[in-house]
Amino acid sequence: MSPVGSTARARVAILPADVADRIAAGEVVERPASVVKELVENALDAGAMAIDVEIRDGGRALIRVSDDGLGMPEEDARLAIARHATSKIRDAEDLVGVGSFGFRGEALPAIGSVSHLRIETATEDGAGVAVAVSGGTLVGVTPIARRRGTTVSVEALFYNTPARQKFLRGARSEWRAIVELMGTLALVRRDVRFRLVHDGKEQWQLPAAASLRARLGPLWGGEVAERLVAVDDVQGVIHVAGLIERPTDVGSTSRQVLVLVNGRAVRDVGIVRAAEAAYKSTIPAGTRPSLVLEVTLPGREVDVNVHPAKAEVRFVDRWTVERAVERAVRRALGTEEAIASVGAMPRPEMPQALFGTPLPVEVLRQAVPSAPAPLFEPEASSPDAAEDGGRPPAPTAAPAADPDLIVPPLIQVHRTYIAFERGDALVLIDQHSAHERVLYERFMGALERGDAPAQRLLFPLTLHLSPAEAEAFEGHRALFAGLGFDAEAFGGNSVLVHAVPNPHPRFDAERCLRETLAALTGDRLPSTIARHERLAATVACKAAVKAGDLLAPEEMRALFLALARTTLPAHDVHGRATILQLTWDELDRRFGRT
Amino acid sequence: MRFTITREKLQEGLAAVTPVVPNKTTLPVLANLLVQTTEKGIRISGTDLDIAVSTEITADVEAAGGITIPARKLSEIARELPAAPVRISATGDQRITLECGRAKFKLLGLPKTEFPSFPAVRFEKALKIGSGDLQRLISHTAFAASTEESRPILNGVLWEIRNDLMRMVATNGHRLAKMEIPVSGGQKAEHIIPPKALEQIKRLFPAEEQLEVGVGENHLGFRSPFTSVFTRLIEGPYPGYDQVIPKDNDKHAILDRAAFTSALRRMSVVASDQTHRIRLSFNSGMLKFAVSTPDLGEAQDELPIRYEGDPLDIGFNANYLLEMLRFMPTEEVRMTFRAPERATTLEPEGWSDPAKYLCLLMPLRLAD
Ligand SMILES: Nc1ncnc2c1ncn2[C@@H]1O[C@H](COP(=O)(O)OP(=O)(O)O)[C@@H](O)[C@H]1O
Ligand SMILES: [Mg+2]
Repeated sequence: MSPVGSTARARVAILPADVADRIAAGEVVERPASVVKELVENALDAGAMAIDVEIRDGGRALIRVSDDGLGMPEEDARLAIARHATSKIRDAEDLVGVGSFGFRGEALPAIGSVSHLRIETATEDGAGVAVAVSGGTLVGVTPIARRRGTTVSVEALFYNTPARQKFLRGARSEWRAIVELMGTLALVRRDVRFRLVHDGKEQWQLPAAASLRARLGPLWGGEVAERLVAVDDVQGVIHVAGLIERPTDVGSTSRQVLVLVNGRAVRDVGIVRAAEAAYKSTIPAGTRPSLVLEVTLPGREVDVNVHPAKAEVRFVDRWTVERAVERAVRRALGTEEAIASVGAMPRPEMPQALFGTPLPVEVLRQAVPSAPAPLFEPEASSPDAAEDGGRPPAPTAAPAADPDLIVPPLIQVHRTYIAFERGDALVLIDQHSAHERVLYERFMGALERGDAPAQRLLFPLTLHLSPAEAEAFEGHRALFAGLGFDAEAFGGNSVLVHAVPNPHPRFDAERCLRETLAALTGDRLPSTIARHERLAATVACKAAVKAGDLLAPEEMRALFLALARTTLPAHDVHGRATILQLTWDELDRRFGRT
Repeated sequence: MRFTITREKLQEGLAAVTPVVPNKTTLPVLANLLVQTTEKGIRISGTDLDIAVSTEITADVEAAGGITIPARKLSEIARELPAAPVRISATGDQRITLECGRAKFKLLGLPKTEFPSFPAVRFEKALKIGSGDLQRLISHTAFAASTEESRPILNGVLWEIRNDLMRMVATNGHRLAKMEIPVSGGQKAEHIIPPKALEQIKRLFPAEEQLEVGVGENHLGFRSPFTSVFTRLIEGPYPGYDQVIPKDNDKHAILDRAAFTSALRRMSVVASDQTHRIRLSFNSGMLKFAVSTPDLGEAQDELPIRYEGDPLDIGFNANYLLEMLRFMPTEEVRMTFRAPERATTLEPEGWSDPAKYLCLLMPLRLAD
């Protein structure tokens, strides 16, 4: 996206009345954040590469936006504060496929009518001009000296409209709105350096960023940004890119959603819904993923002039756009079979792209035969252990030996993956997906044989359910019992649980049961999968260790062995990869060793 | 602040306190130890905000004062020092100098005012107990506490004090351990203590020492003449364990602990490494073991026992049984049952100790 007007400046001119009328009416200036938005967008339109925003008292005392853009000559600066003065469009034809942020020429006059507005601007370093407006009246034009660029200061916003002032929320809440807005703008224009200051304190300073992920780091937190999955897909003329939350992370942090259409932030429910549809059964009902999606399509396919706040768009062919978004997200999540080809696509900022292909079963069996891991030591059996020792080790029996399996040294990385070395590659196992696969096969086996171990509880659990959950429980009661949940109805919508499966030491039976019931009630998709398979998959997902769980060496070892014994170790129950590899060749290439 | 201390004393003090210093912390001062001079020497303290440990060691104080010193660095230095007196001094509230023989270190500490203050715990009407009794309670029960995080209360160990006894109970909801020791002059009280704190208490106080137990709002303090441990308490109420201890079990077995243990260990080899399920069939005179794990194999064994009651087939997590057997103090153990879905008890048989010990185990459903 190239900033509009960065090459030559179009002069500001009053729009013909008919053009002005065709522009969506409405007030631009409703709160401090909307003023900030107009001013920063003006700065971006002027080709600024560095923008400083200074706020005082949530924007009520002062909003000051300084840029290093093109600046305005004196007469343009005077004209800019007249209604429908704009340098950005000349006639109705230009409205179709507009490429700049502002195009209605009404922001500065509107702001000037409800504040003390001062514009200081220069088209070159040296001589510039300051134009001051108070309550809509021009109060002065003075020559000044300054660097190229423009500084717009808005003081005492709404000082002459007490009714509006009354509707302002507290300084903190106005400030929050500004922070959110600036975050959005900063994501849209990652090539621009931004600085945001409130009451003399710097909120953040963002250098120009090379990638969406790099810019998201300081805004959402580096760890969160690192875990997002890259989306990059082209469908006809529609390009969908961005970063989305992994299904297993959804719900763990507060949800953030940003959709950009042709570089403009929009509030488009349809696109968000399409993206969410791609997550389908991978996340519990009721939770929604964080995402940043950039949809790029030819200007003629989209009309941005729908809402005065410019947040909504009208697509010529909405259905096709939404399907493109859904497909792109689905591909990124790997829920489609096209995993290998996704890996082959050029996605320079996405480390996952290194590991294109899910691995065959044999990967686990061929694990490095050199250094065998120390066998897990069964607990000491000295008869007076109770008197001398500390806490005994957690109960785990030595796993039965499998003749073909040598467990390589395993390390946990990012509390999410188990890494090990195989003949010619570094291999990563996704701990949650892998465990999910293991549990799913165990649960299916137990359901088929009817021998699920159910651990009786000393203190039965009482679960108070919603009517829908109680119904879901009744409907699946026999299957739950088959999985090891012995429970009885207990008046109203409560159930009393006497026995639970105990698939691993950190298993939280109550939470698993609750989440499974919630998922079952939210699940309205007609499904071709048999009910028992679906329940086994849901319980497996809820019961499995999560990304972020720290695993002890013996837990990793047990998981490795269990995964190797499954029938489909390379795929989780959603069809995504559980195992990925980075070959030495690939590594050498990345390090420029070849 | 300036003092001279023997290398051994310094190492001893650090060994007592550093185990509670957290490895990772967002509060930098917690990575430090608070070192303060006292009348007889110095006091070293450390905390992770859940547990605090403080110990006094003799030293030759030249100038009173206090400072906080990075715990790991100080311990590493102390470990490598030559056998010579160690001279430690502080200038201002951050600069520390440590000299020993010809070695000299300068370290950067943090002002002592940044160190969190210890919880307010009153020792005026402190309960006095023998450290050895406390250790026995801890080592026989704490193992049974839950490590799973969904029910924080079960992560703690219940300590009940009565006029004539004290008792500890721990459970993870599948099994429970309970021990009672007679005492005199106890005042009725209940506390739920994190096992991590009990571990420190067990480690720090010699068995023959008398301890004072002080009570604060949400904390307990344990102290001997030189060392104190403070711990945060877990808020109750603890589940009513007494109601789940069966009183009407009508089947009894007496088993040889060592033989039972080795049979269970043998069977465990082919038990599922997920559930460790094992089937026990009790008959008069004989206990039969059976394990069958899909995709893995089967195993059987037999053990002569004394058994009274109708024959019974019951499933257990073999690991739970093995763990309880480890802590049984006698050569023979007594088990009681009622039905395959009801609680089983495990007790020492022929124990002449005034203490009482009981473990409880909930069965696993068997497939039939
Ligand atoms: N920061 C700026 N740098 C350069 N020119 C600006 C700046 N802000 C405003 N202008 C000029 O003033 C005109 C009016 O601005 P505005 O009222 O926001 O209307 P619009 O942005 O819709 O054109 C713009 O078209 C632009 O030419
Ligand atoms: Mg504008």
